[in-house]
Amino acid sequence: MNEELDSQLSAMFDDELLPQECELLARRLSRDGELKARWGRYAVMGAVIRTERGVRLNAPLAHRVSAVLLAEPELGASAAVPARRAGVRWWQPLAGGAVAAGVAAASILWLRAQVPLAPTLTAAAQPPAAAHAVNVVNINTAGAHDSYVTPPAPATRALVVPSTELANYVVAHSMFSTPVARRNLLSAFMTSDPAAAGTEEPPEDAKMDVKVDAH
Amino acid sequence: MSADASDLSLVRRVQRGDKGAFDALVLKYQHKLVKLVMRYVRNPAEAEDIAQEAFIKAYRALPQFRGDSAFYTWLYRIAINTAKNAVVSRDRSPIEYDLDRNNSEESYDMQGRMKDAETPEGLVLTDEIRTTVNAAIDALPEDLRTAIVLRELEGLSYEEIAAAMDCPVGTVRSRIFRAREAIDRRLREVFEGGLGRAEELG
Repeated sequence: MNEELDSQLSAMFDDELLPQECELLARRLSRDGELKARWGRYAVMGAVIRTERGVRLNAPLAHRVSAVLLAEPELGASAAVPARRAGVRWWQPLAGGAVAAGVAAASILWLRAQVPLAPTLTAAAQPPAAAHAVNVVNINTAGAHDSYVTPPAPATRALVVPSTELANYVVAHSMFSTPVARRNLLSAFMTSDPAAAGTEEPPEDAKMDVKVDAH
Repeated sequence: MSADASDLSLVRRVQRGDKGAFDALVLKYQHKLVKLVMRYVRNPAEAEDIAQEAFIKAYRALPQFRGDSAFYTWLYRIAINTAKNAVVSRDRSPIEYDLDRNNSEESYDMQGRMKDAETPEGLVLTDEIRTTVNAAIDALPEDLRTAIVLRELEGLSYEEIAAAMDCPVGTVRSRIFRAREAIDRRLREVFEGGLGRAEELG
């Protein structure tokens, strides 16, 4: 047998071989019966030197383990999945949370941009600029008599609907976001519309989802 | 050089489906594991059974082993838990192990001997291996004997042995290898000889 190979085997047995050389030798060791037998005798020498009394040096333990493992499936296929999972584990929740927060934020911005353009909402929630100007003029110029002009009541229901839908959306997709991000979004919905603040409750099942997920 | 690179390279091969690499890990650690388990059960035959179970558990759990700790540390933990569970289950069935529970340490050894007596050639071979290795070590030149003993008995690294023996690390590696070769020449004769019970996996 190659002396250099045997020397490497001895060093590998002692964990004193470079990792790259270990990789190559491990492949050979797993296939070469003679090399494996020598490896086993190195272990026996160590056991004798350490005077491991009571331990049978010729025990067929490795044979028995090997025989049992013959019936076992190879680990290759099943090992690949946990390894891949372990690799992505640390960033997966962050990415999920980021995607959910991004979608929710984009939805908010888009809906906010759409709300003033909707004719019904605009009309209901806000008087036309000209009408408002006239009212102001009336207040400022018509000093002959007191005039208490109040703006029309905002169409609170119409404004709340988008936030509710968004809240439902966030709650329904809560599994993809972190509890903190979800809480921030929900509280943003609640505070962004003063008229709706304190009046809009999430559905019971949604609340349940939030509670469960927060734990 | 990373510690445990040797074991890790074998572990990675097993994880990729190479069962032959696991044989090498069993061969390397079987005696240490049996010795460890014997702290809990004393009976060598029972210790071997528990060690076997620990190795099989380790094999099945290897997909979850990520290499955060040394392989042998992880393996020892499995073996200790397996041994503790075996002791608990033994205590739950006292009839079978009544002799174990009620007798002294000598009786434990006696029972172990009784089981070994079923295979007397096993005892003879173990004694022959021990005698052969010790004789081979005695016959080694001083520098080789010191190097292999510091490595195996004291568990020193090559660097530490080099410092102790005041020589380069490469020389230590060479001395240990030559010592093993000298011992192995004699040991191989025992394993491949008359009794024919050598444990060699092919």
